[in-house]
Amino acid sequence: MNTQNGKSQIALEFSQEMERINRKTRLINTMPLIILFVLVFIMSVVAEGFFSLYNFQTILSQLSIMLVMSMGLTFVILIGSIDLSGEGLGGFAGAVTSLLVLNGKNTNNFGIWGILFVIVAVTLIGILSGVIHVKGKMPSFMVTYSISSIMAGFAVLSYKGQPAMIKYPFFTQLSQGTFIGIPILTWISIIVFCIAYILQTRTKFGTYLFAIGDNENIVRNTGINIDLVKVKVFAWSAFCIGLAGVMGAVRIGRGVVDIGVGIVFPAITAVVVGGTSLSGGKGGVVNSLIGALIVTIINNGLILLGVSTYIQAAVQGIIIIAAVALSVEHDRKGICK
Amino acid sequence: MQKENILTINGLTKQYPGTLALSDVSININKGEIIGLVGENGAGKSTLLKLIMGLEQPTKGDMQIYGKKYNPKTPLEANKNGIGMVFQEQSLIQNLSVSENIFFGREDSYSKFGFVNKNKMNKDAEEVLSQVNVSGIKTSKKVFNYDFATRQMIEIAKVFYVSQREDEKNSIILLDEPTSVLSEDEVKLLFKNIKKFVAKGDSVIFVSHRLDEVLEISDRIYVFKDGQNVCELNKENANENILYEKMVGKTASGEYYKLNRQVTPSKKELMKIEKLGLKGYFNDISFSLHEGEVIGICGVIGSGKEELCEVICGDKIPTSGTIKIHGEEKVSKEPYQSLRNGILSIPKERREEAIIPDNTISENISMSNYSKIKLNGFISKKKEDEQAQTFMEELNIKAPSIFQKVSNLSGGNAQKVVFARILASDAPILLLNHPTRGVDIGAKEEIYSLIRDLSEQNKGIIVIGDTLDESIGLSSKILVMKDGTLTHEFDAPSDNKPEQLDIVKYMM
Repeated sequence: MNTQNGKSQIALEFSQEMERINRKTRLINTMPLIILFVLVFIMSVVAEGFFSLYNFQTILSQLSIMLVMSMGLTFVILIGSIDLSGEGLGGFAGAVTSLLVLNGKNTNNFGIWGILFVIVAVTLIGILSGVIHVKGKMPSFMVTYSISSIMAGFAVLSYKGQPAMIKYPFFTQLSQGTFIGIPILTWISIIVFCIAYILQTRTKFGTYLFAIGDNENIVRNTGINIDLVKVKVFAWSAFCIGLAGVMGAVRIGRGVVDIGVGIVFPAITAVVVGGTSLSGGKGGVVNSLIGALIVTIINNGLILLGVSTYIQAAVQGIIIIAAVALSVEHDRKGICK
Repeated sequence: MQKENILTINGLTKQYPGTLALSDVSININKGEIIGLVGENGAGKSTLLKLIMGLEQPTKGDMQIYGKKYNPKTPLEANKNGIGMVFQEQSLIQNLSVSENIFFGREDSYSKFGFVNKNKMNKDAEEVLSQVNVSGIKTSKKVFNYDFATRQMIEIAKVFYVSQREDEKNSIILLDEPTSVLSEDEVKLLFKNIKKFVAKGDSVIFVSHRLDEVLEISDRIYVFKDGQNVCELNKENANENILYEKMVGKTASGEYYKLNRQVTPSKKELMKIEKLGLKGYFNDISFSLHEGEVIGICGVIGSGKEELCEVICGDKIPTSGTIKIHGEEKVSKEPYQSLRNGILSIPKERREEAIIPDNTISENISMSNYSKIKLNGFISKKKEDEQAQTFMEELNIKAPSIFQKVSNLSGGNAQKVVFARILASDAPILLLNHPTRGVDIGAKEEIYSLIRDLSEQNKGIIVIGDTLDESIGLSSKILVMKDGTLTHEFDAPSDNKPEQLDIVKYMM
């Protein structure tokens, strides 16, 4: 009888302990949203001009390219991998686009077909990264970083010297146009978000993303082709990078390779700050949307406050560390690499 | 009445390097039967389940299901043959919904143009769950929202669903320690469900350390010992005492454990553990460790002994109680702190936790005691190598040189390298977690001598033995744990060792 009580006691404590961890997880899951609201509140109070229609439009405009890229990265990070090819691959997409549409450097004028060609080509490169990663059993960060370097090289080679000035009128419309007050580029990013959301929640592909990130063995034992899913993930990520690169060219109006520089890190930050775990299996595209808003608002607010660019970068780094610290689970004694 | 036979196992054997995990096991499973499997840790129950599920391949022997040859290579193949297993560690994906988990890998039957019909899936999942009498679960909610017991019922429902045969013949479900963290009411619900399954003609293999539960639910019981199936009992012939007797392993000679060298512990206290607890794992553990003493901790998996060791060596932080070393209270949040406090542990998984396989013998030995081989702030390679050379001879480590990578050594020799590291350090308290795991008999004896050496040097040792016999043979005191509490304490002087049977009674 005595031991039976002992068992109940431990079983009870065990379930209490699990319940405590669950409560904490739920709190942590809502953290990004809380951080977002707190940030909006603080910025509205301290930064003059933050809480205005004009500034919201600015934020939405600043958000667009990063959001597109983070939609690709979310899936990659959900399966526990990483894609660092954004800089080179995005730059490549922008540079080649500028050479295929009406421009000041050559006589090409493929218009919309040029854009489609670029995005398909970049997606194929994503498939290549994925295949090298799964078949060559090489770490994804290594493969994608190398691909980034290679493609940055190709991008510079493509325009030999001066990058092309884009003269395609459609691009001007895209970069300056708005629809119900929201920039067209932002609408594009919202469409990408919706596609990603549907992929994540309404297809088996989406289901497998979480499962692979959580425990690959279970997925393998269920008889699912994990390699294929992973290649698809890298293809999707490259698709988003390609689109982001084209959007960059639209915004700058030139096919310079630097389009990609400085967008990968903020996009990864957006994903992580939003609560998608770098070890995979937890989070999703809604989290990344919140994360992208947080990162953009920090940026925007600091500019409004007139903080110098150098200090801006430092403050941004500090706020990001703070936000990640609040939104990850520290309880688990895992090895953090 | 002869019942229809579903699964026949003939002479199944599994040989791992260094250990025979399963030896010539033959059992039958009939339609609508509940089979209990009992045995000590390492008796071969888990290995048998792994072979039936296709997680491991047998070295010898074969299986037949419904008279057809059955040789699964993957769990998926086992499922298709109507065999499913509920693992001790839950295998649900936390961040997927209940229905996504249940129909995981089978989404195609709910897909149209690539889009999954989640509504229909959620409805059907309710249907699957109703088979196990679980209600009040929202199948669209993510799994992590539910408590452990509910998750287990979800998993059982899933396993039943995935192991349905296409020809609609009956299935067999393997349950590995399903009750270890369930409360009494939850166990009752589980048993009710199990009985419902077998009433439909399905069969269940129930593995548990809880003999009372096995006796309550099983129609037939197989007892395992040292990788062998030592006896088969019908429900009416079985009781706890018979099971205890059949389960306990062979007793080795006193010479094997070097009993003549067992040290009578001194009165000098090294470590005092008071009311130590880790919420959800163990409670209220108190004992003292003296110089020269070897304390063996016995208990089944889930008794809390592993977690107790993790707390003592600083890998987990206790939620209550204190650890005093030389009368002073010490708190360790990380293993390096407990090493500083004088506690060194040999972890259970040598390859993963104790050695750096690609480093040399010499480097592996010096790892926990760089201060001894320092010269002007740098590591003196000369001192490091001299130290290794000494230990290599002293411990009879069989290797071409001290520059051999540890990954090239046999289990026994690798373990001796780990012991050399202990000997090189000055830690007065040693925690040996399965010190002879995966080690051949010759090396085992050498390790036993080493343990005697260490206790002659007045070190205090806590040991979790690979077998009960080993714990008894080595220890001068034995602590028995069950359900997270200390159930009994045995003195084990060299001339009056307790019987395995007596200890087992407090374990299960």
